[in-house]
Amino acid sequence: MMYKVIKKNMNKKKKSPLSRRSFLKGSTLSFVAGTITVGGASQYVFRADDTELLRPPGALDESTFLASCIKCGQCVQVCPPQILDLAGLSKGFAIGTPYLTPREGACLLCKGLPCVLACPTGALDHDITEGKEAEMGLAVLRSPKTCLATKSVNDIVFGLENLKTKEDRIKIISEFLPRMDDLEKKALLEKFNIEKLSDINEVNAKLVSSQMQSESDFNWFKDLVKNSKQAETSCRICLDKCPIKEEKPIVFSKTSAAHIPVFQESCVGCGVCEMECPTEDSCITIIPRLTYKEKV
Amino acid sequence: MKGPGLRAVSIDENKYPYKWRVLRWSTVVGINFFFFASYYFDIQILEGTLSASRFLGLHLADPYASFQVMLASKIVKTNLIIGLLTIGFLYLLIGGRSFCAWVCPYGLLSEIAGFFHKFVRKHGLIKLGNQTYGRETKYYFFFVSLFLSLITGYTGFEIFNPVGGLSRAIVFGPSVALFFIASMLGLEILISKRGWCRYLCPVAVPYIILGKFSPVKIKWKPENCTNCKECQKVCVVPFVLIDAVNKGIVEYVDSGECTRCGLCVDACNDAALGFEIKYLDKLI
Repeated sequence: MMYKVIKKNMNKKKKSPLSRRSFLKGSTLSFVAGTITVGGASQYVFRADDTELLRPPGALDESTFLASCIKCGQCVQVCPPQILDLAGLSKGFAIGTPYLTPREGACLLCKGLPCVLACPTGALDHDITEGKEAEMGLAVLRSPKTCLATKSVNDIVFGLENLKTKEDRIKIISEFLPRMDDLEKKALLEKFNIEKLSDINEVNAKLVSSQMQSESDFNWFKDLVKNSKQAETSCRICLDKCPIKEEKPIVFSKTSAAHIPVFQESCVGCGVCEMECPTEDSCITIIPRLTYKEKV
Repeated sequence: MKGPGLRAVSIDENKYPYKWRVLRWSTVVGINFFFFASYYFDIQILEGTLSASRFLGLHLADPYASFQVMLASKIVKTNLIIGLLTIGFLYLLIGGRSFCAWVCPYGLLSEIAGFFHKFVRKHGLIKLGNQTYGRETKYYFFFVSLFLSLITGYTGFEIFNPVGGLSRAIVFGPSVALFFIASMLGLEILISKRGWCRYLCPVAVPYIILGKFSPVKIKWKPENCTNCKECQKVCVVPFVLIDAVNKGIVEYVDSGECTRCGLCVDACNDAALGFEIKYLDKLI
């Protein structure tokens, strides 16, 4: 009897050599193996270039950053100057992670570092509380030949010669107003019948809105700039605009005839100098993740 | 097949056949609008995306994304744990996979793709029948991707994750990553109705576990049921109704897979299905 039962079962098995259970098991195993293979291979396909993107302040080292960023975009949402962007599919595993393009919008190292505070996973390290502690990268003088400081050219004079749009005018005017000396201020006040130059912004707005639109007035302004004391000094805008200039990240060292900006260890790589550089293609560039020691 | 429902003749009456769908769609759109609004209009109510966010400053974090991050980076941060616990507690209360039906923007797109699927089948545009797979597949995806995160140190699945990807696209504008979402929707229309949500989505796995223990459940009333099976035709995950409607062995739809979408409640013409809070009668 026993033998018969077993034989019956065996026959049954022979009829469907691939029972449902073993089929499920097999397909599951192959599925798991397949996913692991594809996943493992995709590691190489989607691997992102480690030094490609400039990260927000406080970012951990690139591989840890990629692992711990949850891709929620909260840093992008809270960023006051709205300069952060999320990486796309072309960046592989870095998809959805924040980065910035300093020439278009540099990090202003805002007080309190809101992006760091917003990060839920600590991919932007909560241990840093001030902009000067950030280690985003390092600024380097990419093309010393075009740098206005090395040519002893003033940035406002340079700007007036290379005007392209109406916005450029506005920018130049607001750049020049705070740099005027008393005599130049007086001349400007008389020319445009302004009583007091107490509030620079107000004057700026007045000039931009009305008088400066006419060509003759603007030409007068050009002459004022060219004959001003300011025109004799060479460009220092990278240092002037630096959000941590108290730390002296840029020192102008004297070469034979002119000065050349040299970036110091305290530079955090925020990119404001790259953004503000008046030359056509910024002569300063930020190299992400670069440290001062590596550079030297 | 005749089921264990007891009513012989259908009363064939449902005053509000779109009640839950309207409520649910407005919730999905509303919640995702708040994400969008926090970036575009600076309305700081719900900041972030569905991977992680803050509701009025309180951290929230998607469990699957958080597990990936913690395993890949081997770092555990307080804020993430707070987010995880808040979400865990919230969905334990309101019913696990209710995330899928009431929050997930992909779920909404998938539901709309379901209409196209129906259209394609109705007009015989595709010869291939609706394909079904094992619902365990999502667990494999879940554990394999977490294992891969652990050994590679990348949150690799986030490249394909339609939930996070779509949420980022809604808030920060569309990107090439929408390609994956579009192709998934295409597959759902042509091959398998709601295939991603039913069989594949690993994001749902933690919510399934929470949903198993959640008190918010669909209750089946056998005395009203006429075995018409309309509920199974519309259900996002039709296998959850089997124990109740087909076999009659349980009163509540106990499976964690149930998304609490209310489509079955809308579809029922005999008032045999409805939302109930299990254990509530015992408490009072």
